[in-house]
Amino acid sequence: MIFQQLPKELVDFLRVLGYWDNILIGLAKTMWLYVWALLIGFFLGLLLALLRQYGGRILSRIATGYIEIVRGTPLLVQLFFIYFLPFSINTFLQAQGLPYIPIGRWSLYVTSNLFGRTVTMVFLDHITLIGILTLGLNSAAYQAEYFRGAVISIGGGQLEAAQSLGMSRRSGVLHIVLPQALRRVIPAWSNEAAYLPKYTVLVIYIGLSELFAQAHYIISETFLTLSVYILVALIFLVIITIISKALDILYKRTAIPGL
Amino acid sequence: MSNEPNIINIFFYILTKGLFFTLFLTALGLLIGFALGLLLALMRVYGVKEIGWLASGYEKLFRGIPVLVLIFIFSFGIPRLFWYLEPLERPIAGVILALGLRSGAYQSQIFRGAILSVHSGQMEAARALGMNGFQSFRHIVFPQALRLAVPSWSNEYAVVIKDSSFAYGVGIVEMTKAAFDIAANFPLLMPVSMGVVAILYLLFTYPVTKLVGERQSKKLKDFGMGGG
Amino acid sequence: MDKNKTVLKVVDVWKSYDELEVLKGVSLELAEQEVKVIFGPSGSGKSTLLRCINMLNAPDKGEIYLSGQNLTTSGINLNAMRAKIGMVFQHFNLFSHLKAIDNVSVALRRVKGLTKEEAREEALNALNQVKMVEWAEHYPAQLSGGQQQRVGIARALAMKPDLILFDEPTSALDPELIGEVLQVMLEIAKAGTTMVVVTHEMGFARAVASEMIFLDQGIVIERGTPEHFFDSPESERVKHFLRQINILYGYHEELIKEYNEDEKR
Repeated sequence: MIFQQLPKELVDFLRVLGYWDNILIGLAKTMWLYVWALLIGFFLGLLLALLRQYGGRILSRIATGYIEIVRGTPLLVQLFFIYFLPFSINTFLQAQGLPYIPIGRWSLYVTSNLFGRTVTMVFLDHITLIGILTLGLNSAAYQAEYFRGAVISIGGGQLEAAQSLGMSRRSGVLHIVLPQALRRVIPAWSNEAAYLPKYTVLVIYIGLSELFAQAHYIISETFLTLSVYILVALIFLVIITIISKALDILYKRTAIPGL
Repeated sequence: MSNEPNIINIFFYILTKGLFFTLFLTALGLLIGFALGLLLALMRVYGVKEIGWLASGYEKLFRGIPVLVLIFIFSFGIPRLFWYLEPLERPIAGVILALGLRSGAYQSQIFRGAILSVHSGQMEAARALGMNGFQSFRHIVFPQALRLAVPSWSNEYAVVIKDSSFAYGVGIVEMTKAAFDIAANFPLLMPVSMGVVAILYLLFTYPVTKLVGERQSKKLKDFGMGGG
Repeated sequence: MDKNKTVLKVVDVWKSYDELEVLKGVSLELAEQEVKVIFGPSGSGKSTLLRCINMLNAPDKGEIYLSGQNLTTSGINLNAMRAKIGMVFQHFNLFSHLKAIDNVSVALRRVKGLTKEEAREEALNALNQVKMVEWAEHYPAQLSGGQQQRVGIARALAMKPDLILFDEPTSALDPELIGEVLQVMLEIAKAGTTMVVVTHEMGFARAVASEMIFLDQGIVIERGTPEHFFDSPESERVKHFLRQINILYGYHEELIKEYNEDEKR
């Protein structure tokens, strides 16, 4: 009798909550993609920035070219390009009789029973790999620009001083410029780090089941289109806010007077 | 029967079928973002505390939600929205609205930064001459702020034109969808098709950002700072 | 003590940046414990010359000899050579992420291979020489300009180099801080440090320079002892420059005298 008097919004909300396992798995997948993409982007981006700033003429041009191309084209285009590339390459390789890239239905996953629901988390399979790779390669180009800005702001005088003491250029960059640049880049970098989760939704177009894809599944069963979308939007908002705040604290904790 | 398209076919297909909507969505999105961004920036710079919080809250909201989610919300999530349009036309409005609202949040930052960068002495001088607040802003601060905003603005343009590719998912034929369609029957050609559309996007983004970036470094050199 | 041993020999150095010829055949020699001062108008190539000496920018033509070794030949280990040449910068260039003591000791560990304890001891010695021991645990941003520059000098001293190059060490300092840095430079000069100093500080030059070199537009216009320059400079350009310097430093008795004479006419 009580249930008949509950407002419609609340009933709808409870129905959506009933799909908590889907939401949870979707969120886990989103975060999994995000963390790996961020890491790949960090190391590759740092390498690109250093190559661009300190590499010889050829290396720095290649790094610049990569950065400009990736930043000048949409992520979706990059995703499709990378996703379909192995098929084309394989066709070519097979025609030549060469060994080809395996695009099988392989999968590293974990299934467990959580409060009565069976949940399966796929850690790595073909499309997950493509997704992580694309997001990482994309993020690297943007992170490279932040790192480059920080390195430039540290200034050439630091490297000059290091070399004047007899340090090699390599040693000067690694031990003098880089530590300072990494600290200075945190505010700008946290921009990229905090907002990267947003871009993981793109992978639904290659069939990955992250949060947004799960949302569509829930909608297909409940037809509560707006509520589900808003829930997803809010979840992203919360994640991004948490990451921003965490990085803010990190910046304050590692502050050195004058840096 | 293979009517497999070659690169020239692909190029022209994408250009003729997709370019219009790419530019249309981008232009309208940027325009809405411009008006909205300016309004929000004014609210934050010249408004009272609470108005400022409102604007700031808006920014946080629309920076924190993925554009794709926004597009789906406006295209399919609110049936009564765009009631006056045909169902097939609604996604177009949905994309424009999503792009515009998002862009507004980012342009707000751009304008706010630019307005604050204009020396406060300028405003003082204008008032001392007898101009009121609105006049001082319109004739003295605003023109200078616009000039300062150009580099960031060119970046925002690049972002919006790339985001227009998300319209792929709601059935609008812009460049990315066109590139996908033409190779849909020939999956082996997909990388080629994507490569072509990538070059097209680059044609629209690279010259702008490069030009503006160089102009800025030159200006800084003239002022005796930065560059070199 | 071999006072005549040649530490540095710069032979006919030429350097251009793009189209601009900055150095056009500059030569100089420096023996142990000598202090030479290079001065001249801005843009004359003084900084460039210093950076050619420690090969931060290799000269286009000419040779640099450090204690007999030709630095401009190919295949030479420049890093090892630079460890023997110290440099003090106009803008200090202290490593802002390291405390003062670490600024001084980092190269001792990484380049000379000293242990942490050895390096720390040497660093404290150097800081003591410049009277900055109490500030050893401070970061550069917590120090005044004069203090930072003194740490910069300590950083160069600690490496026990064959000579130290000074690139306008006091030009970026507030007037009241210049004194403490010049004091340190005077002390190490008197203690026998071999120095090449680019500066406008004529008082310093007068006190310790064995030779002064006037550089203008990449060419050595005149060279001689400080007395030569202050009593009887030859070139018009040198005379003009010295007058400008005197105005800068307020030694304007000459000007007042001339003004009064003009008035009388």
